[in-house]
Amino acid sequence: MSQPTPSVDRRRFLQGAALGATAFALGARSASAQPKPTITYWNGLTGADGKIMDELIDQFTRETGIRMEQQRIVWADLYAKLQVAVPADEGPDLALIHTVEVPHFASDGILEPMADAATGAKGFKGEDYLPSTWQGGMYQGKRYSIPLDVPQHVLYINTKVMKEAGLAGPDGKPKVPGTRDEVLAMAKKITKGDTFGFAIGTTNPGRYTWGFHNLLWQNGANVYAADLKKSGLAEPAAIEVAEFWSSIQNQHKIAPPANANCRDAFIASKLGLWIAGSWNFTGLRDAKVEFVAAPVPRIFKQPVVWTMPHQFTFPKKKAVDAAKRDAAWAHIRWMSDHVAEWTLKAGQVSALRKPHSDSRITGDPVLKTLLGQAGTWQSGQPTPKWVAAENITRPIIENVYIGQRPAAAAMGDLAKQINALPD
Amino acid sequence: MSRAVRVWRVLLTGLLVIMAIAWLLPAVWVLVTSLKPTENIVRVPPEWIPWPATIGHYGEVLFSSSRTARIGRAFFNSIVVSLGSVAVVVLTSAMAAYPLARMRFRGRDLVFGLLVGSLMVPNAVILVPQYVLVQRLGWLSTYQGLIVPEAAMTFAFGVFLLRQFFLTIPSELEDAARIDGADPWQIFTRIVLPLSQPVLGALAIFAFRSAWNDFLWPLIAVNKPDMFPLPVALALLRGAYAAESYGPIMAGAVLSALPLLIVFLVANRRIVEGVRVSALKG
Amino acid sequence: MRRGAFTPYLFLAPGLALFAVFRVYPLLEGLWLSFTNARLGRAQQAFVGAANYARLLDDTRFHVSLWNTAYYTVASTVPILAVPLLLAVLLNRGVAMRTFLRGAFFFPFTLSVVTVGLTWLWLLDPVIGPSTYYLRAAGVPVRSWLADPATAMWAIILTTVWWVTGYYLVIYLAGLQDIPRELYEAAAIDGAGGWRSFWSITMPLLRPVFLFVLVTHVIGSFQIFGQVFVLTGGGPGDATRTVVQHLYETAFQNFFHFGSASAMAWVLFVVILVFSLLQFRLLRGHTQY
Repeated sequence: MSQPTPSVDRRRFLQGAALGATAFALGARSASAQPKPTITYWNGLTGADGKIMDELIDQFTRETGIRMEQQRIVWADLYAKLQVAVPADEGPDLALIHTVEVPHFASDGILEPMADAATGAKGFKGEDYLPSTWQGGMYQGKRYSIPLDVPQHVLYINTKVMKEAGLAGPDGKPKVPGTRDEVLAMAKKITKGDTFGFAIGTTNPGRYTWGFHNLLWQNGANVYAADLKKSGLAEPAAIEVAEFWSSIQNQHKIAPPANANCRDAFIASKLGLWIAGSWNFTGLRDAKVEFVAAPVPRIFKQPVVWTMPHQFTFPKKKAVDAAKRDAAWAHIRWMSDHVAEWTLKAGQVSALRKPHSDSRITGDPVLKTLLGQAGTWQSGQPTPKWVAAENITRPIIENVYIGQRPAAAAMGDLAKQINALPD
Repeated sequence: MSRAVRVWRVLLTGLLVIMAIAWLLPAVWVLVTSLKPTENIVRVPPEWIPWPATIGHYGEVLFSSSRTARIGRAFFNSIVVSLGSVAVVVLTSAMAAYPLARMRFRGRDLVFGLLVGSLMVPNAVILVPQYVLVQRLGWLSTYQGLIVPEAAMTFAFGVFLLRQFFLTIPSELEDAARIDGADPWQIFTRIVLPLSQPVLGALAIFAFRSAWNDFLWPLIAVNKPDMFPLPVALALLRGAYAAESYGPIMAGAVLSALPLLIVFLVANRRIVEGVRVSALKG
Repeated sequence: MRRGAFTPYLFLAPGLALFAVFRVYPLLEGLWLSFTNARLGRAQQAFVGAANYARLLDDTRFHVSLWNTAYYTVASTVPILAVPLLLAVLLNRGVAMRTFLRGAFFFPFTLSVVTVGLTWLWLLDPVIGPSTYYLRAAGVPVRSWLADPATAMWAIILTTVWWVTGYYLVIYLAGLQDIPRELYEAAAIDGAGGWRSFWSITMPLLRPVFLFVLVTHVIGSFQIFGQVFVLTGGGPGDATRTVVQHLYETAFQNFFHFGSASAMAWVLFVVILVFSLLQFRLLRGHTQY
C-alpha cells in the first residue's frame, strides 16, 4: 500500500504554495506600474516617408514604452479599408488621414469627436497652429483631428533645362517666374522637341485636381460656393481657370500630354518648370537631379498655395479602452513635440508654428521656401461631398486639357453633376 | 525527315524565338530596372544594360528596416495561402466536374449553369458580404480566412475548365473499367485524373496565380501586418501620392514573379508530357 | 453498374458546400443589398425597392462605362483568342526550344496587374517612354497612345494580349495534347495540308476547350478593371472607364453606396449572361467524339 496521505498533503502544500506565490506576484505587480498597452495605428505613408516614421515610432516606444502596431496602406486603399473596418469594430486605435477626408468620415460616423476639454488637457491649443491646418480638423462645430504636417505645392525648376534654354544667370542659378506671364514666356523658350516648359501634377497632369484646385483658389473661385451647397464651378472665375488649363496644352503648347509622368520627365530633364507636391523633393534628391525649389507662382489674382495637411484621428470603437486612448494621445503629443525631426528627415513642414523658427529647418533651401508659403496656405472645403466632387472633376478637366471639350461647357456640366451628388 | 521539312522547322523556330525575345522585352525592362541605381533609372535615351548594377533594391525589399514591410514573412504567407488554395480548388473542382461531365442526374444542368453564372458577377460586390461572413466566423487575419475565400473564388472557374476537358476524353476507357467492375471513385481516381494531368496543371497554375496576386480581399480581410500576403506588403513600396520608387517596386515585382514561374515550370512538364490518349488505346 | 443514386451528389458535395457558403450566400446578400440604400459605414439600411436600378437609367457615366466595356470585349476577342491559338498550334508542331518558348510567352502572366500596368505605362510614356523614344528615332509621328481617346482602348488591348496570351497558350496546348497524333498522320497521308487539317481536325476536337476560352474571355472582359485602372484610370475623360471601375468607385471611393454598386453588378450579370447564352447557342456542337 502506498502512502497517499503524505503525497496528497505534499501536493496540496505545493499547490497552496504555488497559489500563494502567484498571488504575491500579482499583488506585487499591481502595486507597480501597469504594463504599457500596444496600440494599432493606420496610415498611408508608404515609400520613403514611411521609413522615417518607423524610426520616430521606434524612438517613441523607447522613450515611453508604448508599442505601436502599424498598418501602412496606400492612401486610397487605406480609406476604403477604414470605411469597411470601422463599422465592423475592426478599426485601429489611431489613424492618420488627410484633412479633406475628415468631413465625410465624420459625417459617416467613422471618427470620434475630440472634446475641447480633452484636447486642452493634452496641451493642444489653436494658437500654436497655423489657422488653416487647425481649422481643417473641424466639422460642423466639432473637432475630429489634430494636424501633424503640411504637404503642399511648390515650384520645382530644373537647372539643367533652364541653362540650356538660356534662362539661367551667370552664376548658374535659374531665373524664377513669379507671375503667369513670366511662366508662359519662360515655358515657351524651353519647349522644344521632346522637352516641355511647364506642367502641374506628379503624373497625369490632365486630371490633376489638386493643381486645378490650387488655380481655382488663386482666382478666388472654389468647388462649392460659400454656402457649401451649390457648386461654384460655373462661375466666370472658374471658367477662366479651366481655359488656362486647356491653353497650356492646346494653345501655348508648353505642357506635356495628359497622361505624361511629369515627375519622370522632370528627372530626365525633359521638363523645366514643374508645380507639384512638396513630398517629391526627397525623391528628386535621391535621383540626383539638379533643381531649385521656388514659391508657387501667382498665375491668377492671389498667391494661394494648395495644402493637404495630415491629421491624427481616433476611429470609432464600440468600447473605448481608456489605457489605449491615453496611449494614442501620448503618441500625438510626442509626435507634435518632435515634429521638427519629421520635417528635417521627411521634408514635410509642420502644422505647429514653433518649429518654423528652427534654424536647422530654415537653413535648408527647400524647407525655407515651403515655410515662406505659410501665409498663403489653403485647403479643401469642409463638406462631406468634397472627395466625391473631386472624383467627378477628374475626367472633365482631363477632357478640357486634351482639348476635347470647351472650358465653359465642361465647367457648366461639372457644376451640374456636382449639384446632383446625393447626400 | 525530309530536308524541306527540316528547313521549314528551323525557320519556324527562328521566327518564334525572335517573337519570344520581343515578347520578353517589357519583362526584361522590369528586371533591368530593378538592378539600376536610383539615379540611373529614369533616363532618356533608355538604357538596357544596368551598369553599374546594384542589388540594393532587392536588399531594401527583403531586409528593409521598415517594421510594417516584413516582405520575407509576407512571402511565406503568400506561399501558404496559394498552395492551400490550389489544393482546395483542384480537389473540389475535379470532384465536382466529373459528375457534371459524365453522369446524368437531376439538377445537373442547373448546377452547371449556376456555377458558370456565378463567374459573371464581379468580385468587388461580393467583398463586403464576404467580409462580414468571415468576420463572424472569426477568420479575419487567419490563413483559413484567406485560403477558403480564395478557393471559393476560383472553384467555379475550375469546374468549368475541368468539365470541358473531361468531355474531350473518349469514354471507352471508363466504359471498359466499368465493365471490369470498377466503381465511380476508382474510375475517377485511376483513369480520369491521370489522363487529366495537363489540365489539372493548367488549373493549378491559374489557382496559384489568382491567390498569389489577389490584393483586394487580403487588404480588408487581414488586420495583422504579420499576416499580410505579398501584394499588400509590396504595395508599401509604392510611394504615397504616386511618386513611384521604381527600383524597389521592380525588385519586388521580380521576387513576386519567381514562385509563379517555378510553379509554371513544374506544372509545364505535366502539361507537356501529359499522357497521350492514344498510348492507352492498345 | 454499381453507381448509386447518390454518387453524383457525393462527388459534388465538398465543392458545392464551399461554393454555397462562400459564394452563393454573399452573392445573394449582394442581391438583397441592391434593393436597399446600404452604405459602407452605416449600420442600418432601408429597403428602397428598385430605386437603385432606376437611378442607373439616369447615370450617364454608367452607360458610358457599359459601352466602353462592351467595346473592349468585342474588340479584344479576336486578338486574345487567336494569338495564343496560333502560337499553340505552331509550338505543338515539334519546333525546337519548346520549353524556352513556352516560358517566354508565359512569363508576363506571372506578373501582377499593377506591375504590368506600371511597366506599360512607362513603356508608353509620351515623354520618357522607350517606345516613344524608338518610334521617334524611326521617324514615326509620336502620339500619346493612352491619352488619346481614339487609341487608348487599343493600347490597353495590346497590353492585355501581352499579359494573358501565355495562359491561354497553356490551355490550348493542354487541349492539343489530347488530340491523337494518328489523326494528323492519317490526314497527311490522305494529302491534307496544315491549314486543312487545322480546320477539319484541330478545331472540331478543340471545340470544348475553345468554347471555354471564349466564354471565360468574354466573362473576364466584361469585368475588366485592374490594368485599365492603372494604365488610364478610366481616361482620357471617361473614354476607357469600365463598369467594374464605376462599380468599385461607387462602392469603395466616391459615395460608398454599396446598394447602388450591387445593382450595377447585377445589371452587368444580366448583360454577360445574355452574351454568354448567345455564344453557347452559336457554338453548340458535338462536345464528345
